[in-house]
Amino acid sequence: MASTKSGARMMFYIDTKRCIECGGCEVACKNENEVPWGVSRIRVVTVGEGEQGETNVPIPCMHCSKAPCVAVCPVDALFTRGDGIVHVNKDTCIGCGYCLYACPFGAPQFQKAAPFGARGVMDKCTYCAGGPEEPHSQRELSLYGSNRVADGKLPMCASVCATKALVAGDAAEVRDIMSKRLAQRGSSESPWGWSTAYPGA
Amino acid sequence: MTNSMNDIRNSRGVVVWGENICTSHPVAMQHVLTAKERGAKVLVIDPRFSKTAAFADAHVSVRQGTDVALVYGVINVILANGWEDKAMLRDRTYGFEVLQEELKKYDLDTVSDITGVSKADIEMIARMMAENRPSTVIWAMGGTQHSNGTSVTRSFCVLQLVLGNMGKPGGGTNVFRGHDNVQGATDLGVLSDTLPGYYGLAEGAWKHWANVWGVELDYLKSRFKDDKMMGKAGFTVARWYEGILMDKAELGQDENLHAAVFWGHSSNCNSQMDRVKKALEKVELIVDIDPFVSNTAVLPDRTDNVYLLPASTVYEQYGSVTNSNRDIQWRDQVVPPVFEARTDLDIVFDFADRLGFGAEFAKNRNGPWNRDKAVESIAAEWALGTRSIGMIGQTAERLIRQREWAHVFDRDTKRAMSGPVKGEYWGLPWPCWSDKHPGSPILYRNDVAVMDGGGGFRVRWGTEAPDGSTLLAGKGTAPPGGSEKDGYTLAAGYAIDLTGKPIDEALAKGLSPIGNGRARINAWNLKDDPVPKHREPIHSPRPDLIPAWATYDDVKDHFRVPTLFKSLQKPDWAAKYPVILNTGRQVEFEGGGSAERNCWWLVELQPEMYAEIHPALAADKGIKHGDWMWVESPEDLDGNPSKVKVKARVTKRVPANMIYLPFHWGGSFEGKSLAAKFPEGHVPYGIGESANVVTNYGYDRITQMQETKGGLCRVMKA
Repeated sequence: MASTKSGARMMFYIDTKRCIECGGCEVACKNENEVPWGVSRIRVVTVGEGEQGETNVPIPCMHCSKAPCVAVCPVDALFTRGDGIVHVNKDTCIGCGYCLYACPFGAPQFQKAAPFGARGVMDKCTYCAGGPEEPHSQRELSLYGSNRVADGKLPMCASVCATKALVAGDAAEVRDIMSKRLAQRGSSESPWGWSTAYPGA
Repeated sequence: MTNSMNDIRNSRGVVVWGENICTSHPVAMQHVLTAKERGAKVLVIDPRFSKTAAFADAHVSVRQGTDVALVYGVINVILANGWEDKAMLRDRTYGFEVLQEELKKYDLDTVSDITGVSKADIEMIARMMAENRPSTVIWAMGGTQHSNGTSVTRSFCVLQLVLGNMGKPGGGTNVFRGHDNVQGATDLGVLSDTLPGYYGLAEGAWKHWANVWGVELDYLKSRFKDDKMMGKAGFTVARWYEGILMDKAELGQDENLHAAVFWGHSSNCNSQMDRVKKALEKVELIVDIDPFVSNTAVLPDRTDNVYLLPASTVYEQYGSVTNSNRDIQWRDQVVPPVFEARTDLDIVFDFADRLGFGAEFAKNRNGPWNRDKAVESIAAEWALGTRSIGMIGQTAERLIRQREWAHVFDRDTKRAMSGPVKGEYWGLPWPCWSDKHPGSPILYRNDVAVMDGGGGFRVRWGTEAPDGSTLLAGKGTAPPGGSEKDGYTLAAGYAIDLTGKPIDEALAKGLSPIGNGRARINAWNLKDDPVPKHREPIHSPRPDLIPAWATYDDVKDHFRVPTLFKSLQKPDWAAKYPVILNTGRQVEFEGGGSAERNCWWLVELQPEMYAEIHPALAADKGIKHGDWMWVESPEDLDGNPSKVKVKARVTKRVPANMIYLPFHWGGSFEGKSLAAKFPEGHVPYGIGESANVVTNYGYDRITQMQETKGGLCRVMKA
């Protein structure tokens, strides 16, 4: 795994014991990145609504370390940055949709999906790190959205999370936060390292 | 709230009783989750398995409007086991014997029958609270919006007194206010029965404020018909429209209302919306002051005399706001008002000038306000006048300084640990008795000194009850560091002496200006229910319980309108309308939703109005998820049932005998879209039927709060 000079490895951690499905992440993402109607770079899924064990899971792109989307992309439009963020190059993407089938989380989005119609190029969560363009350029903004990471900021979704269920940042720091929480809960779980961004992935 | 949001982190037990924090106050949920991670037990008491219930160690489904009975069942278990705080009851309360008499009616079989909660669960609640002290009790509209809502909320207070949870970190009675600055609005008297600071409307109150405002009392009197009307409570937000509809002879005033001015209020928050519609068609003038075109503008069938005044949003004006737990914060203007919008103050001034009292309005005893700095002038004015509750020391300078030093405040205690704000509590929650006082985040706390935020129960009702018992607290209960060790009375004249002398003298002696008294379990002035009583909702699904647990007698002049209780509590409603109707919030929207339904991203998440319906009831009625369905409610005052057409959301969140409707919607009425009636380009992205078309008649005996958490309806496939 390539690394940035600082050795940072950016990741999301989803604390399913804390997400209350307020939808703040979804709305903040849309507003920050001007994401069109019908495209969800992050969405909160509720499992078992109205029953004991009801659980909410916010699902952005998990920026997997061994990203299956990167592996299957026939034109190498998908790639992993040195800091672990997975990006798509929209100039290269051919809209084949392989990544959609490969992704375990449903992260890849296609704006113009229609039967027998053009699917359009793939869009997904950028970790609010723009795309393969000059940071803060008009082209980056219109193709990929904002670039908060270039300013040293965290993704908008995690920044607004009311209960801090969606934790973002460098893997080491995220692990520290989660270790404390899990220890306090007396949980037998251990926080996942960046080699498994999500259980079972 | 007696305690603060942050203080939930210190609780060992979190009892959420009639509030869905995840949906109504999502940001506050972090404190509940933190408490839980620290080992606190979380208990959710709610008819629905709400989103908040999903985070609870236990969820108890209680039948709507039976909370007093459940509280009494729990108290009976506590007393039977000797789990009560005997010192608290002996030294800091009044009227426990009267309560004990009432409790005899609530044996566990009776409570279980009334509430639908099993005896095992009643015992579990009592044990959980007894073993996990301090517990906080948190509620919101699930506690208040009942015909006996005042009794419900008082019963929560009684429960906390019995357990000794009052005046302690991690304890308290904590009602979450529903809107930004709604606590500030009530503190400053946006109510029909009191002047700012809860002074009431008696002549002494007017005198005090005339003194603060620098106007003659006679001048204020000249604005009213006579002294009687000057001292009489006005209409409430729940039933103002009857002032338009009802015959003059029925009203508590000589004239009908001629104009309705809405200022940041959504008419779709009113129950009996069919009557609201009629009133808005009859009244001569409607003014709606709002950043968005609200439901008020399109609901009535009329084409003239509706004026929409574009108000600015919070981001376009500045000043202080008070949150649910009395924290005051200073907000900045982000941008000047956009387009033709004007700030609320600017509109107020324009009205006052054009109505001919601008000069008297924009001044106080220190002279005319500087209108360019009016916010600061007003802040100085309330700091001078609202002495009753100790809203004195929260100067703009201190509030702005706190914001600059926000990072030094401790999250668990809310106290600043260093810097120039060291010792202050965040937001300087009232009572904040002087510009040296740190604020009081936990009310009635007698284990810290007054200058550290301590205090006793306020000696509000004299030092002696009508039965001769003392209302001063018992031995050794005074906050430490004062010249008095036991109960003591309040500082005479503290609320009206504008020199501040009585307050300063009390503080110099380490005493609380409001004294050290007793909490009244027996509130003798509440004639019907001096101690809380269970009373069946007006529209009860259990007509067999009505004879023993009947509602109140009708009231003739209740905030200037007749309010019906017994004459509308008809036992035959339940046969015709067998399903319980419940209403509440969606997390994406707020209030009447005119702002949020105009937000593209929020409407994408919640595009349509719906009813939550249990799979069993849906199957009975042949309704599938996503089908259109009708919800119809009883005929109430005007003899016609009301109905709404909504999408079915089939979910196990609701019990099988309940329909749940979110109340933020507007722009449709009884199956017909009102979209064409919006001004061009102003149709919200999301329009739908208003839940309050079908919420039933019913109002709290004391406050006239509408009974939207306990009605009846029937459903059919559309």
